[in-house]
Amino acid sequence: MIKVPQVSNTSYLIRQLPTPTAFVDTNYNIVQTSDKWTSIFNENDECNNSKSLFAVFPNLSKKWKMVLENCFNGNPQPMGIHKTLDTNNNELWFEWINAPWYDTNENIIGAIIQLNNITDAVNNELELNKKDLLLQQQAEITKIGRWEYNMEDNQLFWCSTTKSIHEVSPDFVPSIETALFYYKEGHSRNAVSMALFEAQENGKSWSNLKLQIITAKGKEKWVMAGGKAIYNKGKMVGLIGTFQDINEQVQADIKTIDNEKLLRTLIDNLPVNVYIKDTESRKILINRAECEYLGVNDPREILGKTDFELYPYEAAEKSREEDLKVMNTLRPVIGKETVKTTIDGKQTSFLSSKIPLLNSKGIAYGLVGISLDISNLKEKEKELRNIINIASVQNKKLLNFAHIVSHNLRSHSANFSMLLSFLDTERDEEEKKNIISMLTTASNNLLETLDNLNEVVSINTNTNIEIKEINLNDKVEDICKNLSSFILNNKATIENNIPVDFHIKSVPSYLDSILSNFLTNAVKYRHSERKSLVKLSAEKKDNYSILTISDNGLGIDLDKYGKKLFGMYNTFHDHKDARGIGLYLTKNQIDAMNGKVEVTSKIGKGTEFKIFFNEKN
Amino acid sequence: MKKISDITIIDDDAITVFGLRKLISSSVEYNSIKSYANGKIAIDALTDFFNNGIQIPQIIFLDINMPIMDGWEFLEAFIELPIAEKIRINIVTSSIDPRDKKQWEHYKSKSHHMITFNQKPIDRTKITEITEMA
Repeated sequence: MIKVPQVSNTSYLIRQLPTPTAFVDTNYNIVQTSDKWTSIFNENDECNNSKSLFAVFPNLSKKWKMVLENCFNGNPQPMGIHKTLDTNNNELWFEWINAPWYDTNENIIGAIIQLNNITDAVNNELELNKKDLLLQQQAEITKIGRWEYNMEDNQLFWCSTTKSIHEVSPDFVPSIETALFYYKEGHSRNAVSMALFEAQENGKSWSNLKLQIITAKGKEKWVMAGGKAIYNKGKMVGLIGTFQDINEQVQADIKTIDNEKLLRTLIDNLPVNVYIKDTESRKILINRAECEYLGVNDPREILGKTDFELYPYEAAEKSREEDLKVMNTLRPVIGKETVKTTIDGKQTSFLSSKIPLLNSKGIAYGLVGISLDISNLKEKEKELRNIINIASVQNKKLLNFAHIVSHNLRSHSANFSMLLSFLDTERDEEEKKNIISMLTTASNNLLETLDNLNEVVSINTNTNIEIKEINLNDKVEDICKNLSSFILNNKATIENNIPVDFHIKSVPSYLDSILSNFLTNAVKYRHSERKSLVKLSAEKKDNYSILTISDNGLGIDLDKYGKKLFGMYNTFHDHKDARGIGLYLTKNQIDAMNGKVEVTSKIGKGTEFKIFFNEKN
Repeated sequence: MKKISDITIIDDDAITVFGLRKLISSSVEYNSIKSYANGKIAIDALTDFFNNGIQIPQIIFLDINMPIMDGWEFLEAFIELPIAEKIRINIVTSSIDPRDKKQWEHYKSKSHHMITFNQKPIDRTKITEITEMA
């Protein structure tokens, strides 16, 4: 006999159950439902009691029949989760729970099915799955892995990216101890241990820790690790964090730093001045040599400054023009010899180059300047040139002298031999006497020539000449006194305009010779139509004391005789006393004292000699 | 021996002039010998001769080192004179300066006159040889 459940008394109670509940008999027919059930599944609150459960839920799995059957036998099993649509066609998720339905005699007469609405939970789970996927994808793309540490059960979770960074297999199960072990011994392991400790003890988070790990395959890698504590109801329950492979960046950074260091070391130790300027010609990099040249210890004192702040205005303007030219034409200036003067007046010779710096589009964004200090070289070159000049002048002098000597001595000896040959054959006694007197003259001439030559040699070879400071005015007066009869006889006037306290540096005997030579010449070659007037004056200029002697005499055609004026045995006036030795000797004496002579003259008007006495002696 | 009309000596050294005169007079026949103490006096006189149609001396003895105008300057001026005749110019010097030899070669190639270079001392044989008409 089939027992019919007695429901009438209790139906009112059942209807009020707060969860969707249905009572089914052993034939799977719905006997009674709660109002909640009805409101969800039955349109118009129409009661579909006594309908079969499988008719109401046609999508219900047939295996549930078995589950319910077990339930009828007193073995209820979970029925699982089932998706269904409510009367408004909303998707709802329910967890189905069943229990045997007993009558008052403890006989199973059916099953009680109760539904738990878990739509929200299911939706959350979906959302979570999505987020999980997203995270995973993000991790794969960014190579930022995740990890989670559960404090309660001391479990560590690594995401697949974290695992691949550690180069462990996907099924590797990490623990907090093994995780720490992957960090390189020393700084890296200490730093991460400290961070973990701080996080667990004080809840401190950490981020952007650049550390080194040694992977499972023994590879050294740079990683960036971060982490923070997570709390549940105010209680710390674990840690979560990120783990990023930054090996490539770090390697690149290290390489960049190494390159920069290399470059810096190079440019700082190059014995040349190096700087980089931007398009505004502001210095944006300078090396140590340039710092030293500009007299600063720290390049920052110079950076950002332009040449206008470092050099005099004109030089800066020139340099700026050149910068612009280099950057506009993109044509470098290479190895140009320049002389730079800093604002404080220091002068340096440079071999400088300016090379445009191009960006990826081929436009100049500045220039690099390289300057080699060649001041020493220049100085040496100058010295060398001086020495060469002196040597060549000396050489010329020597050669000239040799020719003069040979010519003069030869001419005398030729005269001797000629006269002697005449004497040998001459019969006329008168002519013999004549020849002998000529021989005497020739002999005197030779002696005089030898004296002159001796004088020249002594000027040029006497290295031990003693230079003294001499009052020029006094000296001129002395010489005029010595020449007084000569001056008087020629009715000449000497006008001495030299300052009373004017001193020069000279060898006293040379000065005597120079003064008397020039004064004598000035008077000797006076103009026949006017009285001779010789003026003397003196001034100091550029390391020289300059004595000026001007006359109103005959003058010399300098175009014609300029080159020979100071030559030996060169005379230019038809004057019986002209020997052509005086100016030659004076010139030698002036040269020997590192001085010089300048001459200007107008024919028929007069001559002016400027004698330069070197002050540096 | 061909008779030479006129001889000129240009030298500032009296002894040399004396010697040359003596040598010439005992070696060759000539009409006259004139001497000048430097190039300037000589060129002035010769230019004057030329302008006035007077015979230019056929032989000239020329010293190099002289005051006012030296031998080279004289030559420079002399070869500028448009003298059709070939004049013999004997440079007589005691110089061994190679520059003087160069100068001589320079003037020799520049002029149609016969220019010789002779080093002192000059003896009788040499005088006979260089006092031939050009």
